[in-house]
Amino acid sequence: MTFRPASLLAAAVLLFSAMSLLIAGVHDMVGEPGKAVHLTRAEILLADGGTPSRPPTTLDGGSPTGAWQAIGLPYAEPMVPVDRTVPAMAPGYPANTWIRLSAPDLTAGPGPMALYGARIDTDGPYAIYVNGRLVDWQQRQGRPWNGLFTPLWVVLDQDANGGPPTDILIRLDHAPTTPVALSTLWLGPEPALNLRHRVRQLLQRELPMALNSAFLAVGVFALVVWFRRRHDTGYLLFFGLAAISFAAHLHFYLDVPITSDWFAWLTINALFWLIVILHLFLRMLHGRPLTLLTGAVVGVTSILTFLTLPMVGVLPVLPSTPVIVPRIYAVALVMAATVSVVGVACAWRRFPEARLLAAALAICTVLGQTDWMMHNHVLSPEGWFLGAYTNAVTFAMCGTVLYRRYIAAIAEVERVNASLAERLRAREAELEVSHQRLREAERRRTISEERQRLMQDMHDGVGASLISAIRSVEKGAVDDTKVSQILKGCLDDLKLAIDSMEPVDADLLLLLASLRYRLEPRLEGSGITLVWNVQDLPTLEWLDPSSALHILRILQEGIANILHHAQASRIRLDTIPDTQGDAPGVRVTIEDDGRGFDAEATVASPSGRGLRNQQRRAQALGGMVAWNSSPSGTRFSLWLPLNRDMPVAAG
Amino acid sequence: MQPMPTTAQAPSRVAVAIVEDDAGFLDALRQAVRTADDLRLSGVAATRADGLALLDGPPADVLLVDLGLPDGSGIDIIRAAAQRWPECAIMVSSSFGDETHVMRSIEAGAAGYLLKDSAPVRIVDEIRSLAAGGSPISPIIARQILLRFRDRGTDLTPPPMAETGPAGTEAPEETPSLLSPREKEVLSLITKGFTTVEVARMLDLSHFTVRTFVRRIYSKLEVTSKAEAIYEARTLGLLNG
Repeated sequence: MTFRPASLLAAAVLLFSAMSLLIAGVHDMVGEPGKAVHLTRAEILLADGGTPSRPPTTLDGGSPTGAWQAIGLPYAEPMVPVDRTVPAMAPGYPANTWIRLSAPDLTAGPGPMALYGARIDTDGPYAIYVNGRLVDWQQRQGRPWNGLFTPLWVVLDQDANGGPPTDILIRLDHAPTTPVALSTLWLGPEPALNLRHRVRQLLQRELPMALNSAFLAVGVFALVVWFRRRHDTGYLLFFGLAAISFAAHLHFYLDVPITSDWFAWLTINALFWLIVILHLFLRMLHGRPLTLLTGAVVGVTSILTFLTLPMVGVLPVLPSTPVIVPRIYAVALVMAATVSVVGVACAWRRFPEARLLAAALAICTVLGQTDWMMHNHVLSPEGWFLGAYTNAVTFAMCGTVLYRRYIAAIAEVERVNASLAERLRAREAELEVSHQRLREAERRRTISEERQRLMQDMHDGVGASLISAIRSVEKGAVDDTKVSQILKGCLDDLKLAIDSMEPVDADLLLLLASLRYRLEPRLEGSGITLVWNVQDLPTLEWLDPSSALHILRILQEGIANILHHAQASRIRLDTIPDTQGDAPGVRVTIEDDGRGFDAEATVASPSGRGLRNQQRRAQALGGMVAWNSSPSGTRFSLWLPLNRDMPVAAG
Repeated sequence: MQPMPTTAQAPSRVAVAIVEDDAGFLDALRQAVRTADDLRLSGVAATRADGLALLDGPPADVLLVDLGLPDGSGIDIIRAAAQRWPECAIMVSSSFGDETHVMRSIEAGAAGYLLKDSAPVRIVDEIRSLAAGGSPISPIIARQILLRFRDRGTDLTPPPMAETGPAGTEAPEETPSLLSPREKEVLSLITKGFTTVEVARMLDLSHFTVRTFVRRIYSKLEVTSKAEAIYEARTLGLLNG
């Protein structure tokens, strides 16, 4: 999908061209039938004062007399340099200019006739007489803001005599130094001229107004977006651009008298605000701060805005408009040119749409220029005020930029999503590999640990017992029963080693149960009663096979000691949750009613290897063993912590 | 422990068949059976093939099977015997009575296990108890069974008072996959290290009743594991319907 950079602008240009062609067609269509007459010749009479300000309804005495001069239409008087306008605008309109036209060839049709002209330019009222009778009196309060853009259009009543309107006299009131202008006029049947009038209205006023309103609507949309995305000042600037453009162009459509202070203030200053906003917008696009220029632009605008305030009145727009406005516009022109040139220069390399920007600004300049030329009578009054279309161009430019950004943002999101998914997949695969590696390492470590543990246990337990049994048999010092006992002891060791690997789910009680299950046959044979007095214990999360074997061996040793040495008749095993210091834990006690022994001495003596093993294994678990012995019995206890942070020392 | 009335007549004696490749243990077994008046040896095999062939003959009351046979696993014999000698109580002989071997055997249809280093008196007692409908259990096995049934809830129908005869076959089979609260209680006490005698005392039952509970639990485990095997096979598409 390729993107055409200036498609919006191109569409606008195409639309404009189509309009122009249409107008040309209308010209031909209405020109040919011959019913309407195009008036291009006239006579003019200048009269300074002396006429009543209210035009009489009929001119009984015919045309005013004086030195009538022949002129061609369109007619425009050259602008007088402003400096010499003193006073700027005198009260009332002391000067009159009369223009006389005749249409002898016109034949009256059945329908109403109409008079149409593209523009009539005077700062005062104007009156139109047809066949000596007043048919129209406009701009009685002076020219309104939109006066220059409103075509002349008078529908004529049927003449009392039924004759065609042949003589047309126009009276233009104006200040003595104000130059007047008049376009060519058309006289003919109303239906034939109406289309021409409508098209002029549409293109000079209504279409720009519609575009302006559309721009404002989009601006409001941008404002709403900005409310949700305060950090994105672009939306606010866009709204500012739309709102101020709207304000700055209001005078093209509104029928407000020029004498309205506030409207004059708004109209004049909106242009400056527009330049400020445009500058900020450009700055946002190319991303350079341009602090100095920004300060200057904002400063000048603020000062002018303040000074021209009607209540401040230092630089009142009214009534000295003709003096102030050209100077103020000169400042605006300099500012706009600076902002545009700097903006485009900054954007040229950094910002892809710089050419579009440059083109848009150039078009705006040209369009603004035509306005200036129209105002100053450089162009014929037949021409068009195209400044109203700068809005459309600005709108098209900003719209294109935003549209491109929007499309680019969507593409970027899609790209990011795709790459995110891709990265996620890669990361998952990576994780899987590393996880597998970890599992493999863990497995190897476990195997290695288990091997070490079993080796150690075989070495200390079964291995040592077997060696001792072999030695005893070889010496011949023991009988078969003794050998069988030793071997049974070996098998018990082996069974406990296997039990230590069974799943006990961190349940110490289950481990004790297994121990009892294994030792039961031997206890039964010994005639000793075992009292099983256990209660439920919290789970020992650290209880792995290695720890389980330590516990089994400690308790096995404890019970074996009783069986071999204590001559007891009764053994009692208790379990109880027990806190040692501030460490929560569990305690297993084994009590017998045997003859007792000196634990301390035994631990220290060479024969105390078994007890020392118990101590060592308990320490490896972070626990402890204790003996409490008296002639009436011994109480052995094993305390184990509930939580164990330190790793168990091997062995 | 004399749960069954014993008589001197041969036909009423408990018929014991043995599949064992360890000659030493076989001798010990023979010796033990011979010394008991109420037991008789009805058949002996030393391989898996011979063991399966033994099942063609008249059914024994108790079948002792070793898992590690020279030509294959004793599990196959247990499975076949459970089908062809439904009235026979099967007992697996094991050196250590470890969880893996015992659980697999029970799931295949065994009703008990025998530690190979047991004293002759104990061997005879275990055979008698098994023939009478009781089963032995160890704490580790009890825990494993509890875990298997943990997620299935509890069978609230009261356990039948089957004091005599093979209890497992007569148990109501509507909810064979659930343990009754009583059964759970028994298993739970076993895991805490209490012997069957102590459990019987605590629950105010006879010692032998506790052993019949264990037999019924084993039957449920067997049924459940079969159902699970069928379900899994179906899931894998090995069976149709």
